[in-house]
Amino acid sequence: MKRTAIIPVALLFSLGMFISPVLAQEAVRVGVILPVTGEKAKFGEIEKKSFEMALEEINAAGGINGKKLEFLFEDDTGRPDVARSAAEKLITKDKVVMLGGGYGSSETFAVANVAQESGMPFLVATGSDNKITAQKWEYIFRINPPVSDYPKGLESFLTEVVKPQTAAILYENTNFGSSGQKEFQQTCDRLGIKVVMSEGYQSGGMDFKPLLVNVKKANPDLMYLISYVMDASLLMKQSMELRLTPKIFVGGGAGYTLPEFQKNAGKASDAVFSATLWYQTLPYPGAKEYFDKFGKKFGIETEYHGAEGYASAYVIADALKRAKSMKQDDVREALAATDMMTVFGPVKFIAYDKMTNQNKLPTYVVQWLDGKLELVWPKEVASKPYFYPVDWEKVWK
Amino acid sequence: MDVFIQTLVSGILIGGIYALVGLGMTLIMGVMRIINLAHGQLMMVAMYITFVLYEFLHIDPYFSLLVSMPALFLVGVLIQKYLLNPLLRIESIIPQNQILMTVGVAMVLTEVMRFIFHSDYKSVKTPYSSAVLYISSIAFNFPMLIAFGIAMILTAGLFFFLLKTDTGKSVRATAQNKDAALLLGVNAEWITQLTYGLGAALAAAAGTLLLPIYYLYPDVGGQFTLKAFVITVLGGLGSTVGAIMGGLVLGVAESLGATYISMALKDAVGMVIFVLVLVFMPGGLKTLTKV
Repeated sequence: MKRTAIIPVALLFSLGMFISPVLAQEAVRVGVILPVTGEKAKFGEIEKKSFEMALEEINAAGGINGKKLEFLFEDDTGRPDVARSAAEKLITKDKVVMLGGGYGSSETFAVANVAQESGMPFLVATGSDNKITAQKWEYIFRINPPVSDYPKGLESFLTEVVKPQTAAILYENTNFGSSGQKEFQQTCDRLGIKVVMSEGYQSGGMDFKPLLVNVKKANPDLMYLISYVMDASLLMKQSMELRLTPKIFVGGGAGYTLPEFQKNAGKASDAVFSATLWYQTLPYPGAKEYFDKFGKKFGIETEYHGAEGYASAYVIADALKRAKSMKQDDVREALAATDMMTVFGPVKFIAYDKMTNQNKLPTYVVQWLDGKLELVWPKEVASKPYFYPVDWEKVWK
Repeated sequence: MDVFIQTLVSGILIGGIYALVGLGMTLIMGVMRIINLAHGQLMMVAMYITFVLYEFLHIDPYFSLLVSMPALFLVGVLIQKYLLNPLLRIESIIPQNQILMTVGVAMVLTEVMRFIFHSDYKSVKTPYSSAVLYISSIAFNFPMLIAFGIAMILTAGLFFFLLKTDTGKSVRATAQNKDAALLLGVNAEWITQLTYGLGAALAAAAGTLLLPIYYLYPDVGGQFTLKAFVITVLGGLGSTVGAIMGGLVLGVAESLGATYISMALKDAVGMVIFVLVLVFMPGGLKTLTKV
């Protein structure tokens, strides 16, 4: 009796072994590594939702040459060691054809390292530290401009409108922060702006006043801040408390463009400028539609990180469609030949400034006006005229 | 000079809140001889309670102290009764298995809050959140001042309770010698529950007071657990006076370090002080007071 019971079971198992690889081949699996828990989860979530939204559309439109595209999401929790093991798992266990995502620079660098070692194509969505694409790693591609390009759009705004003499730079002491600081320092040197103070701080602080009193003492024309969203709100709130009044406050992207920044900083966010990489009114096909659809679907606002996620999903799909086979090197080749338009702008991987496989895009200046983020520079694409000079006593009333 | 005074003021104000965080932990440590590694997470839960009350019922954060403290007291008592005390009865290789349990509690609390509220950053924006009192050119953040004041009142209340009431004396007796206290008729099991509840309630107070100044997300607790731990060790394990001093010292040291050394090294400055105290005053700051 026992034996007869075993046989069908064994049969089932052996059948299963034959069937499962067939089933697995039906979908094209791509690993996506993003922080969905931990301190960076906020951005990770926006990106993940954008990836999912794009995935639905791609599959509804026929997937990858008839095969279903599948994203396997892994949470890097905002820690490089976790990111590294997530990448290893996706590559060795899940046997994905390529990797995508990558939010925090430190985590992205860790993933890129693993990807390069195992010859796995990796399309970086966000991780913006310059060094990620400056290693001559042929398997690493990046859709996001490097952090050094963030203030490019700002440069012309400063030389043509603000003309500051002195600047103070505050940055969080991470890869992202110090890389951005170095670049802005060079920008200042080039423009003849004297940097009177340049200081790092640890993210997650409660009280930034010790730092801000030093800035107040230095009394710069321009204050450039590189921070994630909640540090950004606290920095602005406490600057308001201390009546720290440079001619302008400029956020170096990241925290300063998020709706949460305005929500948490309140009126302290008013008139703050920020460099940004994307804005929904930009004349890229689908940009506005993406923005509206996202808002309707999830009930929250998206921003440039989301657009990066959404665009990378389409770049991934495009490359996989063109790839000769799903072998890693064929995928890499297809990715390298990418030349397409996305909601995030044109995507083409080129080599410049010591970087390889890097997408090059213009950057913009936005400003918070009456609680809304408006594109103010360059003038040709502005959604509203910029508000400058600023009378802080009036704004902060 | 202005810079120095402003720094000192910021440090002392933050230190008052640190002291409140440290007090709860040191109380638990004194009675139960365990490090409560869920301390910051209890704070986080209280912050969410405050947030919900403010967001949906529009209750001022300071009034919600009356809700968050009793609520966390209850949570604390339940944790002690059903999660920590049962472990006492089990023979285990390491006697500190209760500490491991607190780590578990911390994780569960964090993930439950993430499940309910997602990872979004939340904050309450009261009309006075950014109100500032200026004395000459020194800015005193108003919510910070209130938080400091309430922290001092709560601390005084705690001392009154520990020194003057019978129950308070039982708590101290249990902390000094549990077996002797048992022999003299102290209900030690109830005392442990009461202590954990009190510790949690103090953490809750700190969390609620912080919310108008700071912000909130499910993982916010970890850093406060660490701070509380540092303060507790700095002050001398189990010493309430030590915890207050530890909190103030840490607050001022961090502020001064941030102004005069580098804000990037803020935490490092705190840790250097921590190590120095351990090296030169192994008993912690309480050795200075003899209390």
